[in-house]
Amino acid sequence: MTPQPADRIERHKFIDRAYHWLMAAAMLILLLTAFLPILGIKFEWVGIHWVTGLVLTVIVLVHIIRASFWQNFWAMVPDGEDLRAPFAKPGKYSVAQKLYHLAISVLILAAIATGLLMWRKVDTPFWQRDPYWLSTDAWGVVYAIHGLAAMALVTMVIIHVYFALRPDEWHLTRSMLRGWITGKEYRDHHDPRRWQAKD
Amino acid sequence: MSLFRYASSIYGGGDTLIGANYGLLPWFAAAGVAIALAHAIFKAVAAPGKPH
Repeated sequence: MTPQPADRIERHKFIDRAYHWLMAAAMLILLLTAFLPILGIKFEWVGIHWVTGLVLTVIVLVHIIRASFWQNFWAMVPDGEDLRAPFAKPGKYSVAQKLYHLAISVLILAAIATGLLMWRKVDTPFWQRDPYWLSTDAWGVVYAIHGLAAMALVTMVIIHVYFALRPDEWHLTRSMLRGWITGKEYRDHHDPRRWQAKD
Repeated sequence: MSLFRYASSIYGGGDTLIGANYGLLPWFAAAGVAIALAHAIFKAVAAPGKPH
């Protein structure tokens, strides 16, 4: 039965859900354009890849600015209480979600930083490619970091999709689709002292 | 299996790092599947029916 609106507690605003799904689409396109050619499915992937990478860069920047100035930046960082009682009822995010966010942030920022450098080796409407912009050794390091981050993101995406599909996590998946959890889900899964949700 | 790919430098000397070894991609994917499976088995065996 669909809960009455009065029983709904907002977990994610529309802008945050839009960010999540835009980032998911960008990640999917980036991983497919990166790895399908390596797996033998050949197509003109470079243009799609760098344009999507640029889109991801912009939305991640918007997210960082929004999280820093309009949201509680520290809500996603493990705190003392997480370390003292990692299995107790969490605030808005569990310690596992915070650690996952930390790991995927490092990987995405590494992929973006190296991807922006690699962009210099691609002809764009803004410049001609310059493969000698960095030394051969430096390009090797850039490519290695980009590749390792991309492969680790495959691992992280698989884990993320698994948790999103688990029935006991469905309230979180629904909240990323529709924005809300029920009052019962709030009381069952969260410590109101650590997350003062507005209903 | 190395994490990295190397190429011989045309100027001589040692091998040059050219990137990550994409032959490891199936292993990274398998790691994700293994973690998911391990968690699913743990939840089914150690904490059946527990919501958290």
